[in-house]
Amino acid sequence: MRPGEVFGLLGRNGAGKTTTVRVLTTLLPPTEGRGYLFGTELRHAGREQRRRLGVVLQSESLDFVSVETNLTLYAFLWGVPREVAKSRAEEMLELFELGPMRKRKPWGLSGGERRRFQVARELMHDMELLFLDEPTVGLDALTRRRILDYLAMRARGGLAIVFTTHILQEADQLCDRIGVLQAGRLRAVGPPSEIKRRYRGARAVEAEFERPLSEAERRAVGALLAARGESLAILSDARGVLTFRAANAEDLVAELSRWAHGADLDLVRISVRETTLEEAFVTLVSEDATEGPGTPGAP
Amino acid sequence: MLRLVARNFVATLDPITLLVMFGQPAFLIVILGTMFSQLIPSVGASGSYVAYLVPGMIASQMITGAVLAGRIFWLDRRWAMVEQIFSGPFLRAEYLAALLLTALLFSLVGVGIMVLVALPLIGLTPLSPFEGFVILGTIALGSLCFGGLLIAIGGRIRSANLYFTIQSLLQYFLIFISTVYYPVTAKTPVVLRAIVYANPLTYAANTVRDGFTHSFGPSDLIGASILAGLAAITFGLAVLSFRSLEMGPVQ
Repeated sequence: MRPGEVFGLLGRNGAGKTTTVRVLTTLLPPTEGRGYLFGTELRHAGREQRRRLGVVLQSESLDFVSVETNLTLYAFLWGVPREVAKSRAEEMLELFELGPMRKRKPWGLSGGERRRFQVARELMHDMELLFLDEPTVGLDALTRRRILDYLAMRARGGLAIVFTTHILQEADQLCDRIGVLQAGRLRAVGPPSEIKRRYRGARAVEAEFERPLSEAERRAVGALLAARGESLAILSDARGVLTFRAANAEDLVAELSRWAHGADLDLVRISVRETTLEEAFVTLVSEDATEGPGTPGAP
Repeated sequence: MLRLVARNFVATLDPITLLVMFGQPAFLIVILGTMFSQLIPSVGASGSYVAYLVPGMIASQMITGAVLAGRIFWLDRRWAMVEQIFSGPFLRAEYLAALLLTALLFSLVGVGIMVLVALPLIGLTPLSPFEGFVILGTIALGSLCFGGLLIAIGGRIRSANLYFTIQSLLQYFLIFISTVYYPVTAKTPVVLRAIVYANPLTYAANTVRDGFTHSFGPSDLIGASILAGLAAITFGLAVLSFRSLEMGPVQ
């Protein structure tokens, strides 16, 4: 990780994301392998390395005092000067929309409010590397966007961030690199664009004809796909727009254009939709499911 | 570490808890002193039951402090603050030491309140610096001993129900089967007598009582040594419990 980099750790439930975060934050000793935290081998990393970390764990943690006191007390634990803590608490209360509930105890808040509180509390102290284990779980879209925008802003200021999530859209939006964990192994690492390209699998192709296809024409398209080893998985066929999935989408575009020309059918538009990170992720973990857990061959 | 101690006080002590924890023993001195003194006409060196009871109640403050440390630790586990603190710039040893120091400070504050409540009741005569030192030292050793024990237990248990049941049982067992409320006499059954003398609180209560009556003797030295030995053992158990502490949610 370099300063300002945002790294997303993805994986199915039980893939090992939280365990990885716990190991990297020295909460758990590694059972095998080697890792470094600020240049120190994880087995020897301790207080000095943790001083430079921020950690928002998946499990909720709180003290039995008001939201506001929780923030200032946590800052006090980290040795943040009182005046700085006070102004930072105001900033966090506003940013995370916790102002109206500042005097309330955190356990009386809703799930989403408690999650916001967890993230806000961790941002009370200075750090160089921030671990966030599913920080946006239970948050509404607006709050999620607001938090992600804030994290992106902090990353631009040099804060390195590692975060786990099941919302792949936000990983795609925020991360410079992502790593996909499967059964405790890192199966793929790279920028989201690279992961999407490498594991794009079948993509949706949308072809719009001048009129709805007849049954015979549909069979002809099916035969065309079958000849290229594709199965005709038609997603929709409405008012002349045929949407289907194909692994070799680019080749099919030319093929389908030729076929339409030969069939004296006007092909108004044909497009291949970009692979989303979610589709690439599904392809990747499905490959692993087929190969079986722990299959070597991570790139 | 001092920041952790301050945090323990701020985060876990609401006014009602403070009132109950400090008020209950003071309340008991007044109630038990008044009610039991009618049943127990003569006990101890002075013959007054209240004069006998007060030093015992003062000694039992070490249990109150230990219970608080155990409670803080358990709640920190239950609400994942242990993990949160361990992921920060603290050592596990510092967290453990902060818990024990919290127990000790809490016990000493309790002792101060007890003494203030008891003064008008029994009219304590001034203690010599040595007597004061031994009494406070005994309270400190007792806090470490029982605090260490409860933390060691709390680190091994993953159920709040079980932990608080054990804690209550232990608390009442230790206080009632000791010389806090009544002395061991020739009429005490042998088995019960053996249990009372196996209870470290008995030695602490006897030492504190002898301190207040200016009658330290060799038995107090033995008692303090036993207490120190047990404090070292329970501290070791707490350290072991911390070293193998399982993180993650507890019920």
